[in-house]
Amino acid sequence: MIVRRFFIAVTAATLVVGSCGGDPPPPPPAPPGPDMDSLRAYQDSVQEAEEEARRVAAEEAALRAEEAARQRAIAAAGSTLAEMVFFDYDMSEIRDDAASALRAKVDILRASPQVQLRIEGHADDRGSTEYNLALGNRRASAMQDFLTGFGLSESRFSIVSFGEERPLESGSDESAWSRNRRGEFVITAGANAINPGN
Amino acid sequence: MNAPLGVLGWLGLRLAFTLCLLMGLLASPGLAQQRDSIPGVSLGLVYENQPQPALAIQPFTGRFGGAGLVDEVEVIIGRDLRNSDRFEVLDSLPPALVGNVVDYALWDRLGAVWLITGQVEGTGEGYVLILELHDVVYGQSVERGRFRIPAEADGDFRMAVHRASDELVRWATGDPGMAASRIAFTMTDNEGNKDIYVIDSDGENLDRITNYRDLTLSPAWSPDGNKVAFTSYKSGLPRIYELDLRTGDEKMLPEVRGGGDYITPTYHPDGTTLAFSVTGNARSGVFTYNVERDCCLVFLSGGRWYDLSPTYSPDGRWMAFNTNRFGDAVPQIMLMPAQGGDAETLSPYEYGGRGYFTAPDWSPVGDMVAFHGSIQRGTYHILVASVSNDGRRLNQLTWEGNNEDPSWAPDGRHLAFVGERRWGFGLFVVDVATGRLRPLLAGRRVGLPDWSSAFSTER
Repeated sequence: MIVRRFFIAVTAATLVVGSCGGDPPPPPPAPPGPDMDSLRAYQDSVQEAEEEARRVAAEEAALRAEEAARQRAIAAAGSTLAEMVFFDYDMSEIRDDAASALRAKVDILRASPQVQLRIEGHADDRGSTEYNLALGNRRASAMQDFLTGFGLSESRFSIVSFGEERPLESGSDESAWSRNRRGEFVITAGANAINPGN
Repeated sequence: MNAPLGVLGWLGLRLAFTLCLLMGLLASPGLAQQRDSIPGVSLGLVYENQPQPALAIQPFTGRFGGAGLVDEVEVIIGRDLRNSDRFEVLDSLPPALVGNVVDYALWDRLGAVWLITGQVEGTGEGYVLILELHDVVYGQSVERGRFRIPAEADGDFRMAVHRASDELVRWATGDPGMAASRIAFTMTDNEGNKDIYVIDSDGENLDRITNYRDLTLSPAWSPDGNKVAFTSYKSGLPRIYELDLRTGDEKMLPEVRGGGDYITPTYHPDGTTLAFSVTGNARSGVFTYNVERDCCLVFLSGGRWYDLSPTYSPDGRWMAFNTNRFGDAVPQIMLMPAQGGDAETLSPYEYGGRGYFTAPDWSPVGDMVAFHGSIQRGTYHILVASVSNDGRRLNQLTWEGNNEDPSWAPDGRHLAFVGERRWGFGLFVVDVATGRLRPLLAGRRVGLPDWSSAFSTER
């Protein structure tokens, strides 16, 4: 653009000079200094273009950042949905820490009506194999009741117990047991329609 | 059976003793170990203190080509009779005693009360085992029978010999045996998956009957021994399947699409109905399903609480089950009519004890229900309660390690269970009358044994 405008200016000057015929050439006029107006216009246009480019880039960056933030929020919401909760020995009651973790899922589930969850109840390996199946189910059921208590439809959840069969940690001490008495959450529908909410 | 007076007297003594045991009256010091911590309930171990009658096995003979099988048949029978826990078995006797002539005076001097003689005859197609039970004290033959035994390579060979052993037990005691039976159970592989296996009552013939490499639990024999029902997660969710052991056919029972975990199946003694538990559905609890007609799901009991692990009384009129209706951490055993109805507590919850009692199994011959429980938190033992006794007396059968999931043998006298010891896990058998314990399969991660009915006739 800059090059082209300069070229036009020079060509115009050459045409003026060429029309003088055989007369001794007058001393060549001082080459016309760039016209201040056009120079200014030129400079303005350059600035404008640069600003435009910067604005577009900033806008794009902002969009990218926004999208990245949204993706991060979706990922975080996914993690929040999947966050395990833990139970006391042989109990299906929702502990305070479990209630906070479940409460955090409620907002996301409200904002993401297509998302469905499978709630899996697990027990540690003490006690009976069969009774622990029931205990795991009771835990899953307690977690579902907590979530539906916030007005979420029961149709969005399914529950299953794995009893003591799928431990998170091997080991026969309290640190392993306390990690094995847990609820796990699997997104069974709407995984790409998670809305992190506000 | 033409039982001489001596035997009748001995049986009478034993009967009187059993009555004492049932009534919970016998608590003589040194016999009953009182480790009572449940108010109103005494917890103890009552062992039969009668010396058991000595039973000798005169080395068997063979003819018409049966000689090659004699040793093996005799070893199987000797072991079965030991495992019956009803005799002091005298075998490994001097070869000089071999023969078909019975010298009662000699056996009497050796201390035998019973004597078994046997002969294996080749028939061209398999064999015939001729067994005879003698009362040494009265010097006479009491009972004699012929048993068809297939060739050794036949899959039914050992079971046919076990059936003969059970007849010997019946001749001598009038009670059923349990040698001709199998035990189904789960075994865990290195990935934590469980499949169903079966093993003979004497620890032989370990067979794998499912191979899903997923979670497969709670095997239950059909009363005729032809089918095994179980829960498997192989579809992703716990569902009940019935496997026909003769054909390998398998089907889901009942066919389920909706939610809920389908667990803990058991057969009604008539084989037509399967009872099981559904948890996590709109309606949780015990259901029945008619497997003969493949229809008709019936809800029996449950609600907000869960009833599970049902087990029928031998007449099919009652059911014991496990429940958490008293709340978390205090599962109890209850009884109710098999069609559903008011339930009463069998485990000692009502007597002020809380405790943890699970995994009931109703004796196939009587009013005893076995289960496991913990009085001291975290340690589980095999317990037996008498239904007629309102659970006020529990007999504790194990005192070491952790012990879970008892299942009655068809003789109503032995229980298979899972024991955890310092060296690992194993399947054990305990004799309720003597307290005698025998490992059946040690060092494997086994679970949830279910003892079959007696395979009393050829199937």
